[in-house]
Amino acid sequence: MLEATQDYFEAIHDTDRTGALRAVDEALARGLRPEDVLFQVVLPAIERIRGPEGQACASSLAQQYMAAVIAAELTERMVPLFRSAPAVSCRVVMGNSRGDFHGLGRRIVVGCLRAMLMEVVDLGLNVAPEAFVDAAVSSGARVIGISSMMDHTARGEGGCRAVRRLLQERGLEGTIRLAVGGAPYRFDPEMYRAVGADVWAPDGLSAGQLIARLARGEAA
Amino acid sequence: MTPMERLSAVATGKPVDRLPVFCNLLDQGARALGMGIEEYYRSGASVAEAQLRMQRRWGHDNVWALFYVGKEAELLGCRKMVFAEDGPPNVGEWVIRTPEDIHRLQVPTDLADHPAFAETLRCARLLRAEVGGKVPICVYVTSSVTLPAILMGMEAWLGLLLTGPAELRDELLAKCSALVQAEIAAYRAAGADIILYSIPFASPDFLPERLCRSLALPWAARDLAPGGLAGIVYYVGTARMEGMAAEARRQIGVEAFYPSPRDDLRRLRAELGPSPLVAGVLNDIELVRWEPDRIRAEVKALVDALDGGPALFGTMLMPLAVPERSIAVMLEAAYACARRERA
Repeated sequence: MLEATQDYFEAIHDTDRTGALRAVDEALARGLRPEDVLFQVVLPAIERIRGPEGQACASSLAQQYMAAVIAAELTERMVPLFRSAPAVSCRVVMGNSRGDFHGLGRRIVVGCLRAMLMEVVDLGLNVAPEAFVDAAVSSGARVIGISSMMDHTARGEGGCRAVRRLLQERGLEGTIRLAVGGAPYRFDPEMYRAVGADVWAPDGLSAGQLIARLARGEAA
Repeated sequence: MTPMERLSAVATGKPVDRLPVFCNLLDQGARALGMGIEEYYRSGASVAEAQLRMQRRWGHDNVWALFYVGKEAELLGCRKMVFAEDGPPNVGEWVIRTPEDIHRLQVPTDLADHPAFAETLRCARLLRAEVGGKVPICVYVTSSVTLPAILMGMEAWLGLLLTGPAELRDELLAKCSALVQAEIAAYRAAGADIILYSIPFASPDFLPERLCRSLALPWAARDLAPGGLAGIVYYVGTARMEGMAAEARRQIGVEAFYPSPRDDLRRLRAELGPSPLVAGVLNDIELVRWEPDRIRAEVKALVDALDGGPALFGTMLMPLAVPERSIAVMLEAAYACARRERA
């Protein structure tokens, strides 16, 4: 393991933004390639903060937030320095369901996806169902991710249910997959079926990994 | 026994006919009165009337002088709430957008005459007049370390909390703490018996344990010190308190805990010891789809896990989507289990 990998992870674990950026800058000064910063330092830290697959994420929301947001920031810094431009493999549309104003979870997912070189159309808070579908069609996205932090915004008619209905009406069900996340789904892991989603994830980093797999056409 | 006698007896280790059953019906009040949610929350008289009507109908052991959490942002200048018809409203504008907004933030020290608090206090006083001393009157206060999330947004607050500047963060926390202290004083004067003190930022689900210990809990102690701990119930939202509850008790001195359905009650009891009051809280999001047999089984399992010290049965903040028939089954099961277990 690179020294920078451990230093960077420890800083993220301690929610020490300055320390995380310093670890990267020192690694670059020592000659580490920007590609290696992303693939050997930043992404492994996300995976370690997330923890083993199949188990609940043991890290706090603050640690997940720090891992994702700094990852997105460093991706933006590193990618222009790559020797050859990386292929952006897939596009994803993200947003909070209509009436939902809780953006932190979505920001974690978006940061995680961007660090995985996904192109994310982030529609922000309080997004109408039609806007999700329109954005997915116009951008060619394979996945729509809908974040909801309240029971009624997860379960209600302004969220995933309506997006599913629109996909059906427009004949897009085989083309665009639906992922959901947010606190209500954690309290009821069966809720995603009731609202018509294909998959759900219990935390932001897991959602990022899950959506990336869906966007690549892999089994969830 | 009256609900108040029941709660007092449980808290002091005396015999009870059954465990207290807290059922947190809030937005349901609008339906009880046949009103829209926005109209309903305009009037403290409406909220009080609905709380009394629901308590008489269902027979649970508490009433709420609680409108919606965003009310506290209104006390600090927020003028826009986004209402829905199927759930609680959201804060529609951030009071704090820049560091200067933190410097300018004015904290009302006396809430008794504050226009944004008038209906809340009216509700509490009406409840006191009707059921004071008989049914515990509950209020909700957001901790200083959590309040900034509804003033500036969760992401901006987390950024300031984690990365500073520390002086600015502490300036904001000091102002929020002053508001918390004023709220608690005003609620007590209006007749509140139970103050649900909400501090999700002291949950290891939210912050690393280091920050829970060194930042969140010391601010909690500061919030609660002037008014004392009478009626304070420690609550970390729907996040888990396991692993940090004993530390909260040590730092703050609080003796009543309202955990998450995701907490393991037996582990929590082992962490806290036999004397604090611990609620067993039903997962009322899953309750939406549970059939009656499942409801009864879940209630029984929850009550069974409450051995080992003073306890009560409770719900989270019941979503409007919970069918009334499920509320009825849940409460019947809770009353029966709580009685059988204590017989």
